[in-house]
Amino acid sequence: MIPTLETERLILRPLCEETDFEPMAAFFASERSGFYGGPCDRAQAWRKTAVYPGHWALRGYGPFALEEKATGRFAGLAGPWFPEGFPEPEITWMLCDGFEGRGLATEAALRGLRFAYETLGWRTAVSSIEPRNGPSLRVAERLGAVHEYDFRIGDSDLGIFRHLSPAVLAEMAA
Amino acid sequence: MIPVLETERLTLRAPEMADQAVYAGFLARADGPSAFYGGPLREDQAFQRLAADLGHWHLRGHGKWMVVERATGRAVGGCGLVQPTGWPRHELTWWLIEDARGQGYATEASRAAIAWGYAHGFDPVETHMRDENAAAHALAKRLGGRLIARETFPDGATRDVYALPQPVAAERRSA
Repeated sequence: MIPTLETERLILRPLCEETDFEPMAAFFASERSGFYGGPCDRAQAWRKTAVYPGHWALRGYGPFALEEKATGRFAGLAGPWFPEGFPEPEITWMLCDGFEGRGLATEAALRGLRFAYETLGWRTAVSSIEPRNGPSLRVAERLGAVHEYDFRIGDSDLGIFRHLSPAVLAEMAA
Repeated sequence: MIPVLETERLTLRAPEMADQAVYAGFLARADGPSAFYGGPLREDQAFQRLAADLGHWHLRGHGKWMVVERATGRAVGGCGLVQPTGWPRHELTWWLIEDARGQGYATEASRAAIAWGYAHGFDPVETHMRDENAAAHALAKRLGGRLIARETFPDGATRDVYALPQPVAAERRSA
């Protein structure tokens, strides 16, 4: 039911507990998980891992697990994501330690965005980003996303960045 | 893939998108029982809880059902067997919205879930709870629970652990 997609350096596939949970637990044990509801213990990290297959079952879409082609290692998550209570469906991304700084999030998010437009039929898409999350802000910038409005949730004002439209993205790919 | 169980008054079925309002309503309350379930939670956090409960079935093959009051068709809570990786024991867990309490629904749903557990390799079916969760202690005793351990869990809380016996056939009617 969950398709498998590909980019130059990544395979986007369903999450697999056997290979993906330990790296997820390591991510959620680190301070870097602060923008994703962490840090937290292993049992909590497992619950956060279970969110993804659940999201697919509830929405019919969800974030993909990222597997680095060269090593076969789980690199993170990216794809369409829409928690109830958020203003719009969005494209999310997350990279495990050691996979940052090489453009992998941009590569994965762009594939997720194309999947949302071409397969799910989305006419527009955003990403919500905490203003202190510098690496994610740079990914949004590289994707050509533009800050459009802010959305207050809990104690933080998330910036909502509007992605390139399906037409513009198709034109760039041509 | 997720089985449907029927009791005298209740149907236990897979959680679905329409259950978001019940999750969010229950978990939003700062008072009352939602504190035992990590509440109060925002709407998006409640959605992630719903997704995680459904994802638990996909990853484990068991999990929490939605408990539906058959006479009205409304979802009134959840019940089932859960165990995240990193948590040392499985547990029978349940929650009910306030105006569905006091009618024996937790007992009725639990018996169906316990019977399903014994039929699927949980032997014994267990539950554990914080000392201050009086409702959960009372339910474990009502279900014939036997205290088998007192343990400190990874979150630092010490809990009583009960083994729950197989319900006798007359008390359940599962489909």
